[in-house]
Amino acid sequence: MWWLVAVARTKQRWLPAVLITLVVAMAVLFGSVQASATVSLPPRTADEILAMIARTEVRALSGTVEQTAELGLPEVPATGAGVAPGSASAMELLTGSHTARVYLDGPFKARLQLLDRLAERDVVVNGGDAWFYNSADNSATHLTAPVPSSAEVPSFAGPRESLPPTPSPDMSARDVPTPEAMASRFLAAIDDTTEVSVGESSSVAGRSAYRVSLHPRSTETLVDSVTIDVDSETGLPLGVEVRAKGQSEPAYSLAFTELHLSTPDAALFEFAPPPGATVMEKALPAKPVPTMPTPEGSPATSQPRPSVTGQGWDSIIALPAGSAPPELTSNPQFAQTMQPVPGGRALTTSLVSVLILDDGRIYAGLVPLERLQSAAAAQ
Amino acid sequence: MSAETAAPHSAGIVRPGIGWALLGSELSVLFRRLRTWAMLIALAAVPILIAVAVKLSSRPTTPGRGPLFLDRITQNGLFVAVTALVVCVPLFLPLTVGVVAGDTIAGEASLGTLRYLLLAPAGRIRLLLVKYAGAVAFCFAATATVAASGALAGVVLFPVGPVTLLSGDTISVGESALRSLLIAAYITVSLLGLSAIGLLISTFTDVPVGAMAATIVLSVVSQVLDNLPQLEWLHPWLFSHHWLGFADLLRQPISWTSFADNGLLQAGYIAVCGALAYAKFSNKDVLS
Repeated sequence: MWWLVAVARTKQRWLPAVLITLVVAMAVLFGSVQASATVSLPPRTADEILAMIARTEVRALSGTVEQTAELGLPEVPATGAGVAPGSASAMELLTGSHTARVYLDGPFKARLQLLDRLAERDVVVNGGDAWFYNSADNSATHLTAPVPSSAEVPSFAGPRESLPPTPSPDMSARDVPTPEAMASRFLAAIDDTTEVSVGESSSVAGRSAYRVSLHPRSTETLVDSVTIDVDSETGLPLGVEVRAKGQSEPAYSLAFTELHLSTPDAALFEFAPPPGATVMEKALPAKPVPTMPTPEGSPATSQPRPSVTGQGWDSIIALPAGSAPPELTSNPQFAQTMQPVPGGRALTTSLVSVLILDDGRIYAGLVPLERLQSAAAAQ
Repeated sequence: MSAETAAPHSAGIVRPGIGWALLGSELSVLFRRLRTWAMLIALAAVPILIAVAVKLSSRPTTPGRGPLFLDRITQNGLFVAVTALVVCVPLFLPLTVGVVAGDTIAGEASLGTLRYLLLAPAGRIRLLLVKYAGAVAFCFAATATVAASGALAGVVLFPVGPVTLLSGDTISVGESALRSLLIAAYITVSLLGLSAIGLLISTFTDVPVGAMAATIVLSVVSQVLDNLPQLEWLHPWLFSHHWLGFADLLRQPISWTSFADNGLLQAGYIAVCGALAYAKFSNKDVLS
């Protein structure tokens, strides 16, 4: 029977190894379960929660936000290890996930740090000064403008506007893409076409939050639902999630992963370009005109006026002929991402469709491409 | 029969001394080996090569191309150390650490010295701990060699001044030295999991080259998997996932999230691999 003893001893020796592995596995499981635990909060109606958002008085915060986009766009190839990422492209920001640190202090001081792998893109807004810094190519852009009065929010503002990779001329602290800024754009659009309901409360960035869901009543739009997580204490929106029809993963989400409601260090909002950086100076007109960010070199005379047709979630934004600058349409990268359609090129995602016609007309909306084409044909 | 059960009754008093003596002899054997010195010299050559190449090339480096900070070396020599670490982390450092960690037990077994080590009343667990401590010491020595040689080459060949962080803010030379130390500490921590894996593989074989190769191959496989977007769910569990996260120490303010995540991940690998290595090693029939 000596071998039985030997087997027992062998098993005994493996026991601590098995136990430690189990403990580690349990810790991992417990950690992930705790992260998604629901919390119990006193029940509130949708109107009460919406009123909480409107009343929120959080003006200073520092936190980390994470943006995830699953729009069905082709994945931009990941940069290899140790290689600095190339110049930022708008497409790159609309695929995969990105992490950014946000610092806000009042309406005119903001800093956004987009944390890339081995690189960083910074936006620093301090009063009338705005700095954009890209560590990958060590370039800085300085915008000077008079302190904006009340921020004019563009009428159509989908997820495309978040985390702007290029300096957009209507930059103020309010436009820093926080869940609050995103939520306010969706909440502003609430009307008869939207059904508002209260979901199960959750925990976001370690804070208990109410969840409001917005369901479009229309069947034409690509949007299935928009959920907003609202901090139960302050009424600050902590996370926004947009779901597209026929897609199990959220098409777009922006949420805090870390949040402190204290005033950030004032030195964070002071920016001086580092020695050796290429600095570009830009002055803005006295009154910032909210337009879509156009690439440089487009003639200043062609500031197109967008017109909106349709209502609520079905609305289509249309820009007249000549809106698409020829530099853009001749860009090979543009040709790669846009699929050719009769009379122009189109970008279809699970949430947004954009149609650019050969004569320079642009149509965009949270609707299928066919709706854009019929709207274009109607004019 | 294990050495633990064979230990004399009075060993309890003697053991701590023996543990330290064993560690001392392990370190002196490790750092007196020609192979260890050859690896450290090869690592030290990387930043020197980078610095000399940048110094000799007449064309200015285009920003955004090549490894991190390569374009800024000419303005500030202190960037040589960071650039060299970025270059070394994916391959050269895992290569040398794999050699040392894979050699720990299997090397002694192949030389026939393992049984003599176990004859001393030290116990197998103590021997494993000492061997692992030796590998950890090498991790730190390797990282510090790259950082120090890079700083030296940069100071000699290029001007030195305030350092620009990824966030665009500048810090003084003194603070940049502090951050370089932090980066060295981060990379040392990053390599601890790989060392534990090397130690585990080393207990399974008497052929040190096999253990070294397996460890190095695993480090490459882990990094390849980390770059496949289809395996996104797996990425946070790969021991190489946070290897390049030391860039977070070059932001203003420092982002400690990746430091903490990395430490936790490596601790998990150490716990699991260490426990498995102990189980295997204490069951092992030491024949050589």
